[in-house]
Amino acid sequence: MRVGKILRRLKTLIYASIILLTACATTSDTYIDPNMDFGGIKTVAVMPFTSLTRDPVIAERVRDVFINKLLSTGAVYVLPTGEVARGVARTEIQNPSAPSSEEIVKLTGIIKVQAIITGVVREYGEVRSGTTSANIISLGLQMIETETGKIVWTASSTKGGISLWDRLFGGGGQPMNVITEKAVNDLINKLFK
Amino acid sequence: MILSTNYLSKASVLILSGFFFFSVVANAKEIKTGTAPFSDTKFRIAIFPVENLSGTVAPLKEIRQALTEKLSKQGFQVLGEENLEKFMAKHRIRYVAGLDREIARAFKEEIGIEGVLITSLEFYSETNPPKVALTSRLISTGEAPSILWIDGIGLAGDDSPGILGLGLIEDPKALLEKAMKSMTDSLMRYLLTGRNEGDGRGAKKKFKPKVAYRSPELDPERKYVVAVLPFFNRSERKYAGEILVLHFIRELRRFNNFDVIEPGILRQELLGLRVIMEDGVSLANADAIFSTLNPDVILSGKVIDYQDYQGVWGKPKVDFFTLFIERKSREIVWNSSSYNEGDEGVFFFDRGRVNTAYVMASQMVKWIGKSVAK
Repeated sequence: MRVGKILRRLKTLIYASIILLTACATTSDTYIDPNMDFGGIKTVAVMPFTSLTRDPVIAERVRDVFINKLLSTGAVYVLPTGEVARGVARTEIQNPSAPSSEEIVKLTGIIKVQAIITGVVREYGEVRSGTTSANIISLGLQMIETETGKIVWTASSTKGGISLWDRLFGGGGQPMNVITEKAVNDLINKLFK
Repeated sequence: MILSTNYLSKASVLILSGFFFFSVVANAKEIKTGTAPFSDTKFRIAIFPVENLSGTVAPLKEIRQALTEKLSKQGFQVLGEENLEKFMAKHRIRYVAGLDREIARAFKEEIGIEGVLITSLEFYSETNPPKVALTSRLISTGEAPSILWIDGIGLAGDDSPGILGLGLIEDPKALLEKAMKSMTDSLMRYLLTGRNEGDGRGAKKKFKPKVAYRSPELDPERKYVVAVLPFFNRSERKYAGEILVLHFIRELRRFNNFDVIEPGILRQELLGLRVIMEDGVSLANADAIFSTLNPDVILSGKVIDYQDYQGVWGKPKVDFFTLFIERKSREIVWNSSSYNEGDEGVFFFDRGRVNTAYVMASQMVKWIGKSVAK
């Protein structure tokens, strides 16, 4: 009788632990190819980003900020955007924002890079909730190794948005430039971690 | 205390007068030894019609007239309007924002002109408080045209309101006159003493680039010849790309580390090479420019935002990217992102507020020059 009681309690404890442990689990938004030697990447090309927002110039702006930040790390050299555009034009890539493996291999014949980076700007600008508004950016990037055409790294970041502070006291959130830099910094940290 | 008559001893009088005498003599000596290549007033100047980058109707003729009058008053020989028109018609000159080699040679050989003054009006607003921003440069003629002098000014009627608003300038003509006086004084100083305006110091910290990459390849001891390519304009402001180019030419020339190629020559070469830049400078384009013009560095960039405002309410905004490609390494040696707004760091009584995009862009560009040259 007493043993049964203890077993029942133990069962309850195990269930509770499972529920609690599940709640603690996190899902990562970063993929890193475990077999990839990132130390071998010295030069990269950043392809034009896809913009899922209304303004296509936004993708260009975010790309420029990313290139600038990546260069300033000093870890890799980024090819000038004009040179990438020349390579894209010469290889006649239909959609430079999402090139196929064959197109990437062809492109590498013209621009000598070890990896290319593609990106998508999912959200950029002001979001509203009731009377509160704030700026938000959501950005996803992926790195493709040019030799094999394989994706070796992907990550995404969302910064800004309406915080509790904004809801309570207003303020309109942070400037767009600041949150863009934060999102780009976050992605670069994920790349080099 | 020491200057009070009660306490002024003979010794202190002697020391002070000695100090003043020495400083006056030293100053005079400096002026004497300064090169004054054009002080003989035989220097013949042609003044091109003012380039209007403001995108609005502006008193362009009045600006040109003021420049002509001031130079003529000082005894310099300014080419008459009729003769200039004849010359321009003969050589089919329509581009008045620069001087290419052929035109420079023709100016020297055919009509004996030694310098061409090019003025670009960046901004003009008559709405109270009025605003004006312009840049002028003097280019030598002959076989190798180069920029001899360049300066600019950006003014707003409420730049210095003073106590009870006594310093406010509400008349656009008065403001334009003030701007013209400053420009012509600067030009006269150059023509008479051979000294260029200011140096690269004095930029406020808040205007430094927000993100920057500087390659160790850049040598602070070396003098770089820079070709400033037109900036891509992604802003809503018309001619923002051309305006930024002028800012870079003017501010980089303040540093001893840079020698800037006249944009008219660069334009001629770009047209000759049929360079079309769709998304920035490619290395093939860069190689072509390096081989024809022989610069050490190519500067290009992108303007994202360049906003001025009219009236009392508003703030200027400037946002741009800059890129330097070096000849030897064929690599990016400088890349930066700069953005500022006119009311940044302003907390009390509008102190430190910037009213024109011109002033802000000048400071931002000066910081870039300072960072590259350090």
